[in-house]
Amino acid sequence: MKLTTTLLAGAAALCLASFANSAAADGHGPSCGLNTGEAATGEPIKVGGINGNAPPGDFSGGTDAAAAYFDCVNANGGINGRPIEYIVENDQWNPELAGQVAAKLVNDDGVVALVGNGSVVSMAVNANLYEEEDVMVMASGCAISECYESSNIVSTNQGPLPSGIGALTYAVEELGTKNAACIGFNIPNNGGWACDWMEDYMSSQGLTGTSILMDPTAVDLNSVYLQALSEGADTILLMLPAGPAIGLLKVAEEQGGRDLFKWVSPTPLYEPGVADVLGDYWNDNLYIHIELAPFDSDGADNQNWAAVVEAFGQDGDRRDTFSQSGYISAKFFVEALLELDTDSIDRATVSDAIRAINGAESDLLCAPYYVGDADRHMPNSTGRMVAYTGSAFEVVRDCFAIESSYFEPIRAQEAALGITQ
Amino acid sequence: MPRSQITPLAILLIGVLILPLILSSLWVKVVTSAAIFALGAAGISVLFAQLGLINLAQIALIGVGGWVALRLNYATPLPFTVIVVIAGVATAFVGAILALPALRMRGLYLALVTLMAAGAFQILFNAFQFPNGGEGFWGVARQSAADIRRPSVAQSDVGYLRYTLVIMAAGFGLVALHRITGPGRAWAMIRQSEANAMAAGINVTFYKIWAFALSGLLAGIAGALLSGALGQLDARSFLASEGILLFALAVVGGAYSWVGAIIAGVLYKLLPALLNDWGLSADLALILFGAALLHAIMTAPRGIAGQLLGALQRKPS
Amino acid sequence: MVYGLFLVSGLAVGSLYALGGIGLVILRNSTGVLNFAYGAIAAFSAMFAWQVTDWGLPGVISWISAVCIGILLSVAYGRLIAPSLAWREPAVKAIATLGYMLILLGLIGFIWEDALRRIDLPSDKIGLSLLGVRVTLTRIIAFVVSIAVVIGMVQYLRRSNMGLNMRALADNRDHAALLGIPIVRTETIAWGISGALAGFTGLIFGSLVRLEPTVITFMVIPAVAAAICGRLTSLPLTLAGGLFIGVAESMLTLYKPAAPLRTMAPFLIAALVIIWMQRGQKLTFAKEV
Repeated sequence: MKLTTTLLAGAAALCLASFANSAAADGHGPSCGLNTGEAATGEPIKVGGINGNAPPGDFSGGTDAAAAYFDCVNANGGINGRPIEYIVENDQWNPELAGQVAAKLVNDDGVVALVGNGSVVSMAVNANLYEEEDVMVMASGCAISECYESSNIVSTNQGPLPSGIGALTYAVEELGTKNAACIGFNIPNNGGWACDWMEDYMSSQGLTGTSILMDPTAVDLNSVYLQALSEGADTILLMLPAGPAIGLLKVAEEQGGRDLFKWVSPTPLYEPGVADVLGDYWNDNLYIHIELAPFDSDGADNQNWAAVVEAFGQDGDRRDTFSQSGYISAKFFVEALLELDTDSIDRATVSDAIRAINGAESDLLCAPYYVGDADRHMPNSTGRMVAYTGSAFEVVRDCFAIESSYFEPIRAQEAALGITQ
Repeated sequence: MPRSQITPLAILLIGVLILPLILSSLWVKVVTSAAIFALGAAGISVLFAQLGLINLAQIALIGVGGWVALRLNYATPLPFTVIVVIAGVATAFVGAILALPALRMRGLYLALVTLMAAGAFQILFNAFQFPNGGEGFWGVARQSAADIRRPSVAQSDVGYLRYTLVIMAAGFGLVALHRITGPGRAWAMIRQSEANAMAAGINVTFYKIWAFALSGLLAGIAGALLSGALGQLDARSFLASEGILLFALAVVGGAYSWVGAIIAGVLYKLLPALLNDWGLSADLALILFGAALLHAIMTAPRGIAGQLLGALQRKPS
Repeated sequence: MVYGLFLVSGLAVGSLYALGGIGLVILRNSTGVLNFAYGAIAAFSAMFAWQVTDWGLPGVISWISAVCIGILLSVAYGRLIAPSLAWREPAVKAIATLGYMLILLGLIGFIWEDALRRIDLPSDKIGLSLLGVRVTLTRIIAFVVSIAVVIGMVQYLRRSNMGLNMRALADNRDHAALLGIPIVRTETIAWGISGALAGFTGLIFGSLVRLEPTVITFMVIPAVAAAICGRLTSLPLTLAGGLFIGVAESMLTLYKPAAPLRTMAPFLIAALVIIWMQRGQKLTFAKEV
């Protein structure tokens, strides 16, 4: 009896219904793959996906959207007649389970690639496995260093580091930030990693940055907030998943902290349900960096994403950034597969095809997407800023590139691949 | 007692030879985890069955063993098996220190001391994290984790399962040896009456610390094995709540026999994986565990193992 | 100024620990059960209150329902399961409640999938400034209720017949039974009071800290630490212990090297109290406390 999910999903579906309808009214039904309108009947191609859905977060949006897109592809000619069999596992944020389900997908099921992965734990545990077995992972929801520093993982979402620094860039340039406090989880490859690079960014600008790393199980968010207060920061960067970030905003609301700091956050707070829990107090005082196009953007791909999840998604599917991200991963994956000779599709050819993706475009992304043959991948490092206005999010700065010395190797790759001049 | 030794050895042989052949890659990993935590649960059982002591901090000790093993892996070129032994011994010392408050208390207060210890270790693990190949004493770099060595005979997951099963069996053997020799007799007397045991010339303090050290040794070995199985450790695996769960399952499985420890390991790791594979919620496992714990406490003090063994013994006669 | 800030903030957290500890001690005093499921009952109540609000019912009903669910869950265990363990050792009784805790935790996860939630109390919006910290009415309520419960319970135990019965039961169950004290009724009332407190604590905790079932369930661990400060028997000492732990934890934030470890405060303080309680105990024999 997942009452709440149904209710939440219902609310989300209502919000999205309008886009979907408008898409349908324009005569654009969901458009997927070959778009033949005929179901694929050949030998299935096995593709895997791992999400993490348990406290402290639900990262299943990416695999949900990928599943919807693959269903749509299968109903529209498949991969030149072969349907995709998409096998999704949940690692429940448990390192052991993460290792187990990855072994199942890669070794037992023999998937040709993993698509839409939205899991933090599984990337850390399995990065080596993916490399050893040379299977590519086109992830969609990731928040740790392994996702961006491994040869076989390429994630469409940005994770906390670029998104956080993007938010801070806006704060420095538009809000006059001089001293920022980065509040993150005390997890080395997550909060520690992202906040370290945020400090590096601030000092490169001749400004001050402090990290306040908290125990993920900490009960007393009030003293975390007070710590920021005693550090003398003028800006707070919430490098946290949505749940704890909202907890901290509540504490700040209670303390009347809205006007004591400038408040910025990376993408996690950009979620359809956030307005219900935040209320009106934060209107026009909370700025969020978003990695993909806004949910209500009328770009063709965004409209198609909404139409695909509407037509092929499940009732409980989340319609969040991870969902958009999963859609893009799945779409580029299918495009890469369609290039291949249908009979030669196996893990080796698919891995090569994914590495060959270069300059793929989507209106959900600000810049072209690429993979390439490299020891690290971060194809998405540009974004937009939105302001929280209670009922909606308003874009306050359109596509801009995020700058930090962290991106040096990535910019070098982009230059080599001809993405940037 | 030849028969009582033949059965476990036969089971071990079957496990080492046959299991890896019939299991798929997923279940090889699951069974490895189950075997590792069976070893940890055996440590809980030693204290609970032999001395009636409740230890809710076993998961914290497993974490200590894992921490030591990771630290040594990155800091020294020692072979994995040596690291496992050192981690076990180091954790045995930590276990012995934990025993100090236990010398004068038992029952509820001891359970609370171990719960407080589990809570404190949870914070420590969260604050300092597990080594991942970084510099300094804590060895934590803000980056992706470096590689961890495995023994040369156990590079593959299948090999590692065999390796784990052999070490688990050796651990059970060590416990069995204690039960039938001096320490076992001393523990039995201490459990009956500490005053009588002391009057009989038994060094009560020594044997109680010894029991905690043995329990810690098993936990430490389990932790080191876990670090090798996963390649890295995460503070979330060693929450105080997991310590509570592992203790509950050790009681549910049955603390009086090695079969019980295996059942505990299977319930702790295999059942949730099974539920996951069947697409059922892991919350179901919690409900089952809770009900099983109540059942064990109210009507089956020897746990599932006791009921199983009882049924087996009744049959032949 | 800064110290005042952290003092006030610490007292607010401490009163939550104290509330939890008091509920544990009240039950333990009359039934001999240390209820590890206390946090799970609190979590269930808080989630239920959220559910009631989500159904669109007015706030008052949801808060009352939190307290009622707390009583219901607590009394259910007290009537259905606790009696069959009544004559076992205290440790076994406590371990049995772990089973109940697991069942409740599983049920919560089964009914309410993980999502962003919050409970708003009207008292969140009202507040006053104290030593530079804005203290909401909710926090003041938590603080005042914990003190009021202690005073009330001490008076109740001292003056009323039922209180007399509870004290008798706490002293010696066998003798109390022989004297014809209505054990079942007395215990049921104790389970009820403790359950009501659990429901209330869950509601306040969910509103002030986080409405996350696992977080609320395992707040029972610091609450046990507060109860240990009261030697599991004394209500005033439990209150003082809870508040002290909260303040110590909050103050440690100011000392940077210790800041990441500050949440260890409850466990260290409880461990010190246990060691202190054993002072002068020369006997090497363990005894059942």
